[in-house]
Amino acid sequence: MSRGTLIYAAQRLVLISVTAVVVSSLVFIGIHQLPGNALASERRLNPATEQALLHHYNLDLPWPQQYVLWIQGLLHGNLGESLVNMGTQITPLLLRETTVSVTLGLAAVCVTVFVGMTLGTIAAIRQNTWVDYAASTAAVVGYSVPSFVWAFLLILLTVAPFYNWTGGTFYEDIGWGKPEQIPVPALALGLPYAAIVARLTRASMLEVIRQDYVRTAWAKGLKARIVILRHALRNALIPVISILGPLITGIITGSVVIETLFGIPGLGKEFVTSILDRDYNIVIGVFTFYAALVGLANLAVDLIYPVLDPRIRY
Amino acid sequence: MSSGTVHAVDGISFDIDRGEIVGVVGESGSGKTMTALSLLRLVPEPGKISGRILFGEQDVLQMADDEIREFRGNEVAMIFQDPMTSLNPVLRVGFQVEEAMDAHRRFTRQQSRERVVPMLQRVRIPAAKERVKDFPHQFSGGMRQRAMIAMGVSNEPSLLIADEPTTALDVTVQASIIELLRDISRELRAAVILITHNMALVASLCNRVIVMYAGRIVEEGPTRAIFKNPQHPYTWSLLRSMPRVDEVAKERLISIKGVPPDLAKPPAGCKFHPRCRFRIDKCFTEEPPLGEVDPGQLARCWVLMKNIQDPESEAMR
Amino acid sequence: MAALPQSLESSQEQLLEQDIADHVTLGQDAWRRLRRNRLAVIGLVIISVFIVSALISFVWTPYPTWRQALGPTYQGPTLAHPLGLDDYGRDILSRVMGGAAIALSVGVGASAIASFIGILLGLLAGFYRGKVDLVISTLINVSYGIPDLLIALVLVLLIGRGVGNIILAIAVTAWLGMARLVRGQTLSIREKEFVEAARTIGTPNAMILLRHILPNALGPIVVQATYLVPAAIIFEAFLSLLGMGIPPPAPSWGRMASEGYKALELAPHIVLMPCAALSLTVLAFNWVGDGLRDAIDPRMKR
Repeated sequence: MSRGTLIYAAQRLVLISVTAVVVSSLVFIGIHQLPGNALASERRLNPATEQALLHHYNLDLPWPQQYVLWIQGLLHGNLGESLVNMGTQITPLLLRETTVSVTLGLAAVCVTVFVGMTLGTIAAIRQNTWVDYAASTAAVVGYSVPSFVWAFLLILLTVAPFYNWTGGTFYEDIGWGKPEQIPVPALALGLPYAAIVARLTRASMLEVIRQDYVRTAWAKGLKARIVILRHALRNALIPVISILGPLITGIITGSVVIETLFGIPGLGKEFVTSILDRDYNIVIGVFTFYAALVGLANLAVDLIYPVLDPRIRY
Repeated sequence: MSSGTVHAVDGISFDIDRGEIVGVVGESGSGKTMTALSLLRLVPEPGKISGRILFGEQDVLQMADDEIREFRGNEVAMIFQDPMTSLNPVLRVGFQVEEAMDAHRRFTRQQSRERVVPMLQRVRIPAAKERVKDFPHQFSGGMRQRAMIAMGVSNEPSLLIADEPTTALDVTVQASIIELLRDISRELRAAVILITHNMALVASLCNRVIVMYAGRIVEEGPTRAIFKNPQHPYTWSLLRSMPRVDEVAKERLISIKGVPPDLAKPPAGCKFHPRCRFRIDKCFTEEPPLGEVDPGQLARCWVLMKNIQDPESEAMR
Repeated sequence: MAALPQSLESSQEQLLEQDIADHVTLGQDAWRRLRRNRLAVIGLVIISVFIVSALISFVWTPYPTWRQALGPTYQGPTLAHPLGLDDYGRDILSRVMGGAAIALSVGVGASAIASFIGILLGLLAGFYRGKVDLVISTLINVSYGIPDLLIALVLVLLIGRGVGNIILAIAVTAWLGMARLVRGQTLSIREKEFVEAARTIGTPNAMILLRHILPNALGPIVVQATYLVPAAIIFEAFLSLLGMGIPPPAPSWGRMASEGYKALELAPHIVLMPCAALSLTVLAFNWVGDGLRDAIDPRMKR
């Protein structure tokens, strides 16, 4: 990694931190404009206890003051305490859940990239044959079927083996963490986006296989596999990379649904739970994490560019 | 593009000896590049090659995929017109040369790796040791064409096809590339086909010339003979349409009227007759054969320039 | 004229035809091309079927969508209940019809509002550039950094879960793409000669935007708006699935799927029927969108 790249990455990291702080500040301010106090209204508390609780969470202060305290905490990596489960520190909780979500998300990205590129490449080199038409139709169907429907279909298709293998489909009850539990949710998350990648790869490959340097590769007497993978696909991937950023954001969105559906203890499920529980401190914390995650994912994508295309330098 | 069958190339056949440089000339669209590409079975879609393409005893069209792969770059190598687009932008130059050698296992992997730098030195790339690790965009146009040549000759092919190797380059580097091609063909004793529309280049470099028109050979012979006594009206016009330094203002330049024929609907008879200033009735109906007009010189014409008294004034009429 | 070879004559006829074709408006021309696209036509037919059943559902469904225990719960498809009964014994066909009304109104409504916001901000950013563009572009870029579902969930939390609120929450997260598109289009169109010409004769900015720039960007806008419909429909399903959609007993497809999930292996039809309806609708809109894209800009055709 060159010096320029390191400086670029450092700048981006600063920018990501700023974005995360801005985003979570907006959410913080937005939520503190809600009527009533932040303690869940369903709970009936006697005034003394309530007062003690409000004081414990600094909720008795005017919101600008709360904001300052919260920002100070944030700068020290402290996102505060859960409003529902008193005593639960949010930062370690979310860090734990982030590893779960990132694992699942990376698996989904692998599914997307691998399935999408394979389909797209095959469609391109078999252009205008039935293989191409089948792949192109599959692509439209692929991204028309939402991730959760893929999840249902995958569960139904693999019902018997799936149960024996992972012990069920709702991991909240049976525990999460075995590697064999990953494929089905990762496939469900990745397949709709794989279709998009396939479409783009096909178009890009069709462009590239007409290029002079691919003709040179054939003229050198290289094997078809090498011409396609090393000479054509490498170049065809460069434009495809550009959608990986939005695509990762999409996968994160999907993961909120998939994690909730499968009971996977990740950030997405935490977010939904905390929204339903009105646990605003966690809601704000999850926003902070997601803003940072999206930023980091995009940075990672941008750092892939110079690896694939030596003409790009930062 | 109009549909239908286009016979870009028809009935082309010629011999080349090792160490010989043969120039193939003709206007753009006359089928020069197609001839070269079809020899390597690289005619782009939806092009089709039918008939036979013989290289020595081998029919290129009958080869299995493995055989044609072994043939490309090993028996016959090609250097393309535009070095800016002909090198893969994402792979290191040295690797692209190494890969060409690796593909044919003429050398072990270790050997081909060790041969890359000498190969680049041989095509006179300065500081080759450092530059093997460069990417194409770090090379100038001339350097890239040198790298292409290195790639082409790395397997010591018996035939090297150079398709307009200097057209895309600055005038200043053209001469050095041509010099390099000549030297390297001598060193390797490879036969070279130089495809070009530059007659001056042909005159300075080639032992023999093949003139193509509408997918056919219309004239063929030793360079000296062709330049001195062109027998086909097309060759004659081609030479008369170019200014020559040694005959300043002595002769008027003569342009070739009209455009090359649409190969989807070629004219009957001699393919050149619609543009020919010396045509006779027979040219409209019957296509002439490629006949010997002088020892070693062949022309496809019913009339032949030697039978015309004063071609200059005839052409001016 | 008589000496003209056959081929030339026919090509002149073609030219004449072309000439006549040019008098047809661009819209009509695009419509003609769209009709020739088989998948787009199938998509239109599917959408029509859903629209009709949604409209019918307002006045009549085979059974009331909320009535429970019409027969054995979890019952598979029968003659009386073609799509079966759900976990409460409600008729799934009736609920799928009712769900179509919700999905389509959310899809079309959110697409319309998002398009409006996107077009407006895109036009402003592209036309005035400078500070206006900076503010709008920053807003777009920051918003892209947050998964839209999170924003929508918080919004629903803030404004409530009625159909209108759901539409609004989706629209507020969905306009980014449209704004980007319109901004880009505006940036390029504003440099064209006819805009220059309009400016020199003193046409007011609003007029230039509405008369000259907007109509010339309409093609891509229509395509983008079409793609927004299925995206919003999926989004609504996400919200319902997470328990933050339109509240029960309204028969939203996403809610039906999430309720049926508990009995996925026992009675897969409860999940599959609404999911099929959802996927089919989305697929149909995507087909129409692809068809529109190809019809409006034939050069983009793959």
